[in-house]
Amino acid sequence: MSYNATGMFLRFTLGVLGLAGLAFPAEVSFSKDVQPLLEARCLKCHGEKMQLAKLDLRTREAALKGGEKGPAFIPNQPEQSSLYRKVAGLEKPLMPMDGKLSEAEIAILRDWIAQGAKWEGTIGTDAPKQDLSALEEMKLPEGARQFWSFRKPLKAAVPRTGEPEWDRHPVDAFLRKAMLDRGLKVAPMAGPVTLVRRAYLDLTGLPPTVEQVREYTSDTAPNAWEKLIDRLLESPRYGERWGRHWLDVARYADSNGYEHDFDRPNAWRYRDYVIQSFNKDTPFNVFLAEQIAGDELERVTNDTLIATGFLRSYAKVGFREKDNPQFRYDYLDDMIATVGRGILGLTVQCARCHNHKFDPIAQKDYYKLQASLYGYVEVDHALVPEAEAKAYTVKVKEIEDNVKPLRAAIKEMEEPYRAKLLEEKYRKWPEHIQKAVFTPEAERTPGQVLLANQIIRTTNATAAEIDRILPAAELEHKRALEARIREFERERPKAIPVAAGITDGDYRFTPDGAGDEPAPGKGIKQEVTEGSFLCDGSTPYQAPPSYFLHHGDVHSRGSVMKPGFVSVVDDGSMPAALPPAHQRTSGRRLALARWLGSSANPLTPRVMVNRIWHHHFGRGIVTSLDNLGKAGDPPTHPELLDWLAVEFVERGWSVKRMHRLLMSSRAYRLSSEFGGGSNLNTDADNLYWWKFRPQRLEAEVVRDSILFASGSLNAKMFGPAVFPELAEEVLASMDKGIWRKQKDGPEVWRRSVYVYRKRGLPLPFFEVFDLPDQNITCARRTTSTVPTQALTLLHNEWVLNQARRLADRIATTAPSGPDAQLDLGYRLALSRPPTPEERRIGLEFLSTHTLADFAHVMLNLNEFVYLR
Amino acid sequence: MAKFASRRDFLFEAGGGLSGLALTWLLGQDRMLAAGACAGEAVTSSPFLPKKSHFAPRAKRVISLFMSGGVSHMDTFDPKPALTKYAGQPLSGKGDIVVRQGHPGPLMPSPFQFQRYGQGGLEISELFPNVAAHADSLAVVRSVMGKSNDHVMAHYELASGTVRMGAPSVGSWITYGLGSENQNLPAFVVIYDARGGPFGGPANWSSGYMPAAYQGTIFRSKGDPIFDLKPPEGMAPGQLKARLDLLEKLNRIDLAKNPGNTDLAARISAYELAYRMQGCAPEAVEVENESEATKKLYGIGDPITGPFGRQCLIARRLAERGVRFIQLYHGGLGNQNTDTWDAHGDVKSNHTQHAAEVDVPMAGLLTDLKSRGLLDDTLVVWQSEFGRMPISQRGLGRDHNPGAMSIWMAGARIQGGQAIGASDEFGYKAEQQVVTVNDLHATILHLLGMDHTKLTYAYQGRNMRLTDVYGEVIPQLAG
Repeated sequence: MSYNATGMFLRFTLGVLGLAGLAFPAEVSFSKDVQPLLEARCLKCHGEKMQLAKLDLRTREAALKGGEKGPAFIPNQPEQSSLYRKVAGLEKPLMPMDGKLSEAEIAILRDWIAQGAKWEGTIGTDAPKQDLSALEEMKLPEGARQFWSFRKPLKAAVPRTGEPEWDRHPVDAFLRKAMLDRGLKVAPMAGPVTLVRRAYLDLTGLPPTVEQVREYTSDTAPNAWEKLIDRLLESPRYGERWGRHWLDVARYADSNGYEHDFDRPNAWRYRDYVIQSFNKDTPFNVFLAEQIAGDELERVTNDTLIATGFLRSYAKVGFREKDNPQFRYDYLDDMIATVGRGILGLTVQCARCHNHKFDPIAQKDYYKLQASLYGYVEVDHALVPEAEAKAYTVKVKEIEDNVKPLRAAIKEMEEPYRAKLLEEKYRKWPEHIQKAVFTPEAERTPGQVLLANQIIRTTNATAAEIDRILPAAELEHKRALEARIREFERERPKAIPVAAGITDGDYRFTPDGAGDEPAPGKGIKQEVTEGSFLCDGSTPYQAPPSYFLHHGDVHSRGSVMKPGFVSVVDDGSMPAALPPAHQRTSGRRLALARWLGSSANPLTPRVMVNRIWHHHFGRGIVTSLDNLGKAGDPPTHPELLDWLAVEFVERGWSVKRMHRLLMSSRAYRLSSEFGGGSNLNTDADNLYWWKFRPQRLEAEVVRDSILFASGSLNAKMFGPAVFPELAEEVLASMDKGIWRKQKDGPEVWRRSVYVYRKRGLPLPFFEVFDLPDQNITCARRTTSTVPTQALTLLHNEWVLNQARRLADRIATTAPSGPDAQLDLGYRLALSRPPTPEERRIGLEFLSTHTLADFAHVMLNLNEFVYLR
Repeated sequence: MAKFASRRDFLFEAGGGLSGLALTWLLGQDRMLAAGACAGEAVTSSPFLPKKSHFAPRAKRVISLFMSGGVSHMDTFDPKPALTKYAGQPLSGKGDIVVRQGHPGPLMPSPFQFQRYGQGGLEISELFPNVAAHADSLAVVRSVMGKSNDHVMAHYELASGTVRMGAPSVGSWITYGLGSENQNLPAFVVIYDARGGPFGGPANWSSGYMPAAYQGTIFRSKGDPIFDLKPPEGMAPGQLKARLDLLEKLNRIDLAKNPGNTDLAARISAYELAYRMQGCAPEAVEVENESEATKKLYGIGDPITGPFGRQCLIARRLAERGVRFIQLYHGGLGNQNTDTWDAHGDVKSNHTQHAAEVDVPMAGLLTDLKSRGLLDDTLVVWQSEFGRMPISQRGLGRDHNPGAMSIWMAGARIQGGQAIGASDEFGYKAEQQVVTVNDLHATILHLLGMDHTKLTYAYQGRNMRLTDVYGEVIPQLAG
């Protein structure tokens, strides 16, 4: 081995000199010097109770086998031994974690390794048992509950501004008061055409039609605006827009992700459930309960079962899940992150390995939440009455029972021919392999056993190969048997509709999904000693024990955890389990859902009203929508946020009522076209909403707006996803999972919420317009402005086709000439007529260029892709 | 580092305000049409403006050569005579042998011969005779240890430091940290094998929780390099120009109505950049104009070496033009056993085929970079997602092994001709100076002049790092 980099070489040399130099150290005693040191300082984390980084220092064999970072030491080579390097500070992390060893102790270890690391037996057996449970406790810091977002929100008195038009609406009074306190001027109200476009894009994600603009602008009733909002909230388009916001939080996708990226053929039912829930205005806390515990509610319906797809929307490896129980901990972590950030606005998942670094969230809080979810199993809930589902199962079993002996008969008949084919195949291997295979089993060397095993188990003869050598009579008999199998198979009933969701159970015994099959001889052995947690409802379901995991390491179990919530916001008034009457689940998720959606929870309503606010006003009162903790942003209007949170709960957690409340404010109707003058000195970022914040349309809204303007949008709702055409090269970048070939046309021209979400391959059009990562919960999308967006809107064949369709639409609707066509083009794309200057420029352009040229420009305008 | 509280902040951080933008826009009219404007001139609005490194960098850019499927270290850069000595015997004393597929076999010697090369005497197998001629430029790390024996998770770990999806890739971190030296080309370019993308697909170059702008841009090795770079056939050249002129005029009127809106100004500027990219990106991949000698150097013209040779030559052209991070993949999805390095069935035929495809092109790249003086400030990293098992699989193949793999680096004035770390006598596990993927990433950032503990991105209330809370710079490469 060459260590010729200077630094390493020097150290190495010095190490050798240290041994061979003047003071050759006396023999170190393992039992007197080393063992006590290891027991006192190392075994706490690398001993019986815990083997952090999979390192066990109780025996020499275990230490030499090593952990994740390789063996603990290499005898005679202290300078190459990580044990020595880590205690000596030559390598990070410095060990032990609770304080550096003394120079003398370090020297003991060095010399001991240099002398060959002699060892005696197993150590750590007589040492007093460490009480590790103390490590699990964290005392809430003094005053922790006093942090603004952990206190129960209270309604402060609505301030008075003395400006009548701002004192009429509580939201306005709060906002204007904050502006006045800072000497900020306020923008004028936006015009009706701007407002109607704003309201449509905001609530439905589509611009208004020419007729809808006229309807509003010609309505002279004093409550025309309120009537408009009501109309939009009644539109089915509303759920498609606001449901999409929630799908970001739910990290919804139609495929598994990771290598195989398996299709999730029923995921869309959850997407549709979300859209319908928003349209129905399901109270938000009920919506949460259905998604977290839809199988545990008093009244379980198909919808509530479908809703449990929320927790199952994690990216999934889909490879031998039962051989790899550690995957499950990552899925649980993803659920905790999603519930934490998406619902509580807390980064609870930071406490997986240690107490939270910023917020008073104990590691134990994380494991209490994990215990609340731990019994979960993936299940395909049958969406038909129980009797029907049962009849289906019975029928399928009957067919399989009939077919089984037939298949066995075929196999038996084929056997001699299969053996002949296999032997021919074995003969093709190199000599040493043939020798291993043909040596009688009992006489094989240990190496030959392995070699023969891997050849024999992986060599197959296909049915086609066998058929080729099967004598005619036997082949005929085989065909007859196959015909009978087909007859039985014809009776196989149509698969019943199912929803991909979760319930409680024992994951080791759940049916295998795609990629789940364990390796032969592996699988459920791992934890089977703990017994089964299967339950048919005749006795109450017992959740499997879930443990505190030191440093988040699945092999370092601490105490068994009871379910529970985040202590700092838990007043202890709510139970941690609400076992349902059917007894088939633990009721822990139901209790969690009830706590999340309770008025005693200070975070959930704040997080939700802040999210609604963000989507209306372009920025949250707390900018970090998913972090209301110490490392999040402070609220710009704390009293307003609290007032809204209380109002939200008082109004029955109705999201639609919040839309009405916020949109009926004057602040929502301010113009965005306002320079601000001196405001720029004090609030250049418009944190105080002295004008309306324009927002770049989201990826889906850009696509939908294009389809809408060109008259191509297919308004069909719900059902399996559609697959827009992809370039060959894009498809080639990811060949697993599915992307169905669908021709570009009306079938595909549906709203973007219905486009297939493939984790491994986001639709390029969406991605270029800042689609967030689909694998983790996302509260707030980032917006970037990059040249590839321009290239897409300028050159993409799909966009150009839609531009031509827009041109055709204009020409057909307004055949009278360029003036009317220009006018219509503006109204279709921007919901307004052109200004005189725009009319002049446009007409000049149309005198030498085509309508298609003009239509394409409309779809590229800044105004087209902005909500203002 | 910058924390983008809103998109306005993002633009401010990235750009520098309206006055700069407006100026660019005004100047842009002439520049857009100026020939030879591809060298990267002053632009004031882009997330990719060059940023200062933490300390003096040894490399300005990275070319990453990723061998997808899992290269066997024992058959390439990490000779194991013990495999010959103990051939046919079970691997014992290593605890449970965790194989990915099938059944563990006995120890299997390498079918390839090793030889010492260069003054450093680095041992390299006969698979890489041409790369071996650069032995004194290569620093081989023989003790890299990954976390997953799953292709995709292992790819993600190499790409982003974690096996889970959702984290930004190394290229995203680097372009976020350093920006780009050429605003007319993407800062982070990915060119994958014509046979298909690597395991795990586009998530390998995702920007994760960072703004999408930092994700890698796919360059096709044939035709227009960037999707939608040029208008489809049938559109007259003047036609698009006329549309752009009208667009510009109307957007200007709109901008005047919205004073102070940097987003709108930035969007005008993005169209200008897009227009320039149309000329610059195709120019960057025009390998046809290279001399015959250069093409031959990369093995272009030969059906075996041609495809990857083309990828390598484009990489050099992009490096010359100031692209910050160039990610090449060799081995693509298609037929997993024959189109990638995933040698489950027969390591000899698989690795012979794939090494032959890359040996000449990679050697050509090193020679060419050297002769142009580019190797001194370009870091070349050769890697794979994991090593392979010292025991056989299905008779003649080898299964996945994240316990030990070999990678090499060249360029950036690192000390060549050295082997760093060591795996155990069979190559089953990294043993001496175990190097994690976080350590590798820390080293790459270090060579680019960045302290991996200081390059942070605020997300979820935390200052996230490429190396999470881990990572140590490999001392032999730190210089």
